[in-house]
Amino acid sequence: QTQFLSLSLQATMSRPVQARRLEGIDKNIWVEFVKLAATYSTVNLGQGFPDFPPPDFLKEAFVRALSGENHLMHQYTRAFGHPPLVKILAQFYGKLLGQDLDPMTNVMVTVGAYQALFCCFQAFVDEGDEVIIIEPFFDCYEPMVKMAGGTPVFVPLRPKAPKDGKLMSSADWQLDPAELASKFSERTKAIVLNSPNNPLGKVFSRGELQLIADLCVKHDTLCISDEVYEWLVYDGKEHVRIASLQGMWDRTVMIGSAGKTFSATGWKVGWTVGPNRLLQHLRTVHQNSVYHCATAAQEAVARGFQRELELYGKADSYFVQLPGLLQQKRDWLVQSLDAVGMKPIIPEGTYFLVADISEFKSDIPDVPNSDEPYDSRFAKWMVKNKGLAAIPLSGFYCEAHKNTYSHFVRFCFAKEETTLKAASDILQKWKREKSSP
Amino acid sequence: MLFASRSFFCLGIRTYQLRTDLLSRSIRFSVPATMAFRHKNTRRIEGLDSSVWVEFTKLAADPSVVNLGQGFPDISPPSYVKEELAKAAAVDRLNQYTRGFGHPSLVKVLSQVYERVCGRKIDPLTDILVTVGAYGSLFSTIQALIEEGDEVIIIEPFYDSYEPMVKMAGAKPVFIPLRYKNDGNSASSANWVLDPAELAKKFNSKTKAIILNTPHNPIGKVFTREELQVIADLCIKHDALCISDEVYEWLVYTGNKHIKIATLPGMWERTITIGSAGKTYSVTGWKLGWSIGPQNLIKHLQVVHQNTLYACPTPLQEALAQAFWIDYKRMDDPECYFYSLSRELESKRDRMAQLLQEAGLNPVIPDGGYFMIVDVSTLNVDLSDVDEKQPYDYKFVKWMITSKKLSAIPLSAFCGPETKRHLEKYIRFCFIKKDSTLDAAEVILKNWVKQTA
Repeated sequence: QTQFLSLSLQATMSRPVQARRLEGIDKNIWVEFVKLAATYSTVNLGQGFPDFPPPDFLKEAFVRALSGENHLMHQYTRAFGHPPLVKILAQFYGKLLGQDLDPMTNVMVTVGAYQALFCCFQAFVDEGDEVIIIEPFFDCYEPMVKMAGGTPVFVPLRPKAPKDGKLMSSADWQLDPAELASKFSERTKAIVLNSPNNPLGKVFSRGELQLIADLCVKHDTLCISDEVYEWLVYDGKEHVRIASLQGMWDRTVMIGSAGKTFSATGWKVGWTVGPNRLLQHLRTVHQNSVYHCATAAQEAVARGFQRELELYGKADSYFVQLPGLLQQKRDWLVQSLDAVGMKPIIPEGTYFLVADISEFKSDIPDVPNSDEPYDSRFAKWMVKNKGLAAIPLSGFYCEAHKNTYSHFVRFCFAKEETTLKAASDILQKWKREKSSP
Repeated sequence: MLFASRSFFCLGIRTYQLRTDLLSRSIRFSVPATMAFRHKNTRRIEGLDSSVWVEFTKLAADPSVVNLGQGFPDISPPSYVKEELAKAAAVDRLNQYTRGFGHPSLVKVLSQVYERVCGRKIDPLTDILVTVGAYGSLFSTIQALIEEGDEVIIIEPFYDSYEPMVKMAGAKPVFIPLRYKNDGNSASSANWVLDPAELAKKFNSKTKAIILNTPHNPIGKVFTREELQVIADLCIKHDALCISDEVYEWLVYTGNKHIKIATLPGMWERTITIGSAGKTYSVTGWKLGWSIGPQNLIKHLQVVHQNTLYACPTPLQEALAQAFWIDYKRMDDPECYFYSLSRELESKRDRMAQLLQEAGLNPVIPDGGYFMIVDVSTLNVDLSDVDEKQPYDYKFVKWMITSKKLSAIPLSAFCGPETKRHLEKYIRFCFIKKDSTLDAAEVILKNWVKQTA
């Protein structure tokens, strides 16, 4: 018995039980901040999900899928995507890209856009490969690249000072072309593009995308294009799909999300669109990791897209109504923040905005030599003491760059009027408390 | 390439040189992206692209085929399960993200159910991870705990995903077969056993884990306490982990008991136990599963999960939680679905066995699960003229689908390279099918017998 015990101790001491691929990827900002919001917040503008329901037509589609005679809705469907869904996605995106898409080979359904990203990195990033990530970035890109054995290479969007008196726009945050070019090497496997961008709300212009495309073609690099907010663009801006630029279809995987498209983040239905010679490898990862996605939600999303295809461009289209609704909410939140002295960066897209909270720094003193970035401490203090949840911008930067900006937090405005009003009330009260002696 | 080498042999070296010069010059001038597409798959998925399911589900999709192949019920899930999903979908906030590692009400009820079954305290937040099917649990477990340099023992025949998942993690699968031991009784899954000495030899200092599947797919074996003790002793001796795939845990037939290896002494701290909503509630299309184990192992699965898909769908988890509460409250009642489904399936098992026996076949009667394997060599179907380089059972099933309109799954899909040859006369039938499906199968088998007579 003691012989076994000592063997066991030896084994546990010599090597950790977990695989090396988990090194450095165990921390996750959401685990911490979602818990804080759940515990303390009265107004949650933190994690990105709508507090209004999905549209009625989508909920009805789900109920119809479930209550029908066909109880095969509760059993496995086609692993790479429920046939009605991949067919309508192929039709829809084919129309948007101006080319014929094969639903069986140019589309794959995933468990949210999150799993689509995972499949891309696992399929294409090997040890030693570099992947360019534009900062600030949706936080999962970095650990996913690392888990695949790759090296993330960061390039920042840099803010240009806004015109006098004007509020900054997400358009004012730009890549330096020479700096971007310098990040490409023969080891560069892919660049991750997120437009519209979370957290800034930047909608990359055609010119900016052309810059990226030219470099991808020159260096024969892949482009992983996270376009989950593709419908959420404001002020008449155009969401340009990089896959539609010359030379890009063959090297781009486009990622979309039912959660963001139809305000149903809890359904976890996403998809990839791209050439077969790239998607075939995503299918291999998918069939060896989750294999099938849940059937009923896919059926409902397919019906939702059918409706949208019929109403495309019309006033009744959800893809027209939702951005219209969200633009109003954006403007409302911008006004609320500006009124109290927080300086919002007006987003061109997504349902997020980043604001400069410097005016409110006095309540949360600086702690010199602290490991934790100031904005993170600020956000934690704010949710605990004011009940208002937001996410620190440092959460969207790599460890080395976490302190680049210390005074920005991200707010989500996909919220009911009552929620946004309550946020405004909290901020107004806070401002009054600061001003009074 | 063929053209170049032909030139070499026919026209001499100088012409070959000229041709390759022309070829390389043309590469330089053409668009690099199309000529030399360097974006191949990563090493981790090399050779993992084929799948028996992708091949056979396509063939069986023909509606005129009686599908006893892929393992999914064509019987309806219980009505309260379907109702709970409809109810959940009507609640607005249940259409948005829930807790990443598992919806609170679901992990709570899972901890209650399994505390009762295991006889130990299970923390819903630290000891449980909800995944996309048991498939997702297998993947999360293997990605979290297995890596290059590790060996993982897999018992043959095995649910086919184990091998590619182990390989994708960079580790080496080490196979050990269940062998048929003839003790005079008619063929039962209990007759398929591991040789303890052979098993012991498979363990070494590189062994990170063994994958156990009980009740077993495809044979239907329910490992006895003694058999589990042999495995447990080796795990403890070699400080190895046990990945216990127990998706069919409720489907055990009269005279058998499902025992959780995690409940054996010394095993809780080294075992991940995997379960499935699809198999528990006949809702394979919900794709919800779970891993249960000690915090110091589950925390690593949670790290994988937060870096792969983050959260599972909310309305499905809520509906599943409500269904589980209903059955948890009646776990002392024979009407509990966990037991009533098992009874329903036992009679389907017996019927399936009878149909096959009447067709002159000798099926292996499973003690659990909803599959049955049978040796088809007695039917003497000559497929030597079929040119494909596939094992006999692959060819047989394809032939059976086209000529008999009945589908099954070839057993060699569940075998490592050495054992494929030994089991290539076996095919697997799924019997969690409604009466009309089994009626249709009966007609086919009866006609088959008439034709060969």
